[in-house]
Amino acid sequence: MTALVRAEWTKLFTTRVWIGLTIGACVMAGGFATLFTALAGSEQDGGQPGLPAVGTPQYEELAFSVAANASVLLLILGIIGMTQEYRHRTATPTFLTTPRRGRVVVAKLLAYATAAVPIALLVLAVNVVVVLVYAGARGAAPSLGGDNLRTLGAGGLVLVVFAVIGVGVGALLRNQVGAIVGALVYLYVVEPIISSIGAIQGAYKWLPGGAVQAITSDFQAPDLLEPWQGALLLVGYGLVAALLGTLLAVRRDVS
Amino acid sequence: MASGTTAGPRPVRIEVSGLTKTFGTVRAVSDLGFTVEPGSVTGFLGPNGAGKTTTLRMVLGLITPDAGSATFDGVPYAALREPVRTVGAVLETAFHPARSGRDHLRVYSRAAGIPVARADEVLERVGLTTAGRRRAGGYSLGMRQRLALATALLGDPPVLVLDEPANGLDPEGILWLRGFLRHLAHDEGRTVLVSSHLLSEMEQTADRVVIVGAGRLVRQGSITELRSGAQGAGTVLVRSPEADRLVAVLSGAGLAATRGDDGLVTVEGATPADVGARAFAGQVELHELRAESTGLEELYFRLTAGQEQFSAGAAAPGATAVTTEGASR
Repeated sequence: MTALVRAEWTKLFTTRVWIGLTIGACVMAGGFATLFTALAGSEQDGGQPGLPAVGTPQYEELAFSVAANASVLLLILGIIGMTQEYRHRTATPTFLTTPRRGRVVVAKLLAYATAAVPIALLVLAVNVVVVLVYAGARGAAPSLGGDNLRTLGAGGLVLVVFAVIGVGVGALLRNQVGAIVGALVYLYVVEPIISSIGAIQGAYKWLPGGAVQAITSDFQAPDLLEPWQGALLLVGYGLVAALLGTLLAVRRDVS
Repeated sequence: MASGTTAGPRPVRIEVSGLTKTFGTVRAVSDLGFTVEPGSVTGFLGPNGAGKTTTLRMVLGLITPDAGSATFDGVPYAALREPVRTVGAVLETAFHPARSGRDHLRVYSRAAGIPVARADEVLERVGLTTAGRRRAGGYSLGMRQRLALATALLGDPPVLVLDEPANGLDPEGILWLRGFLRHLAHDEGRTVLVSSHLLSEMEQTADRVVIVGAGRLVRQGSITELRSGAQGAGTVLVRSPEADRLVAVLSGAGLAATRGDDGLVTVEGATPADVGARAFAGQVELHELRAESTGLEELYFRLTAGQEQFSAGAAAPGATAVTTEGASR
């Protein structure tokens, strides 16, 4: 299994997809951190409270949870990692080398979970640096302990789990464009609709998006799971996708 | 046995029996059985759409057969302890376009637990040392075939299975491949199974052929056996400075000889031996004497005629069968 995981790392790092997606994730985290800090404490038109002011715990939680917004890019990393085998037909040499196909999918899951850790740390580092520098310039650099550290850890966990979910989704759908478009439509169209319709709103907390919210923020929506429950649920989604993907990969003909 | 590259791999025999596969309503392969012996090149021959690719993919465990089995010394591919060190396969030229050929080989070396330095060895063996560091997306079809062959050689396997490896090769590349496959089998004792839809190619490469049509076994045997069984009469072309006298001599002997505008004499329903003997007896000088098509070629067309799933009109020598292989990819 070690050899297979190392082979998957070689596959990942001998093309440039990961560079683009890592830079994208860092830019997203840095960008959102900048935006939320810039707008912190400003009031919206009509005197309604806008974003929480710098120095408040609410601001700090918001600013340190932006890394999770980049999770879609790690999802895409995982999807590409799996579907490229079918897109470029390398599934043939891959499954010839390892006829027990379940081991290939497991190796990919492990490889992407482990590769996502340093990427997530990099994204978090960008997030932290931007917040410390910018919020510090606006008068109150947050401390890096207690709740803030927990928020950062939650964001990192979401990033890693999304890479794993991506591999599972890719194994399930096999079509690269279809899998990416499907995932984006689900995250940005289907889930927002579910969460906004009263009658089915209750289901939202059980969905991946609801689980992410449960992990990263515990003050906005009351109708969410506990953070640890959200984390379990999210990992569960990743494993179910991977398990279904593995079963299908083992059964389907490679032609 | 002068190779020096290997100390002679252990001989492994491929046995295929009762293989059957149906896609939807199309019976692609039907109760197909044959054996492939070590130390020789076996040609897997049949028209496009005869089920060659499907069969090879079933032999390699990529497609699950509805019935039947394929084994390497009694072990199915999926159960081989070290598949890469037992069987090397060239199925299609599948590479990630952004990855260099060398990195491609390193990936599969790692996965198979083979030292990554082996990647450079096989690149050299197929003549891709310099191109190996470039992105595979920029490779010509011939270079892709060579890289696929390099991938198959990673584990120094006693068995090689190749699906239409000559596709896309230039004449020089085909010549090289022919010599290379024969060297692997004859000098190094490996088992080589190579598919093709071109009889002429197989005649020059293979020692034995397994002929399939419409997913069924049509004939298997050595090229020599088939050739002797196919010593039927065909069309013979003769050139002589005394063409008219030649026609007269041959006609006198009961052969259907006609003289073309270019002086070439065509004899129907004869063998070169017949014609040569008559001409010699009639003391006619000959400058050229050849069969228009070998008996084997006619045998191949006869054996597989009408067996294509989608034949274009009457399947006759030279008739083009619409390929079904493109659709399955």
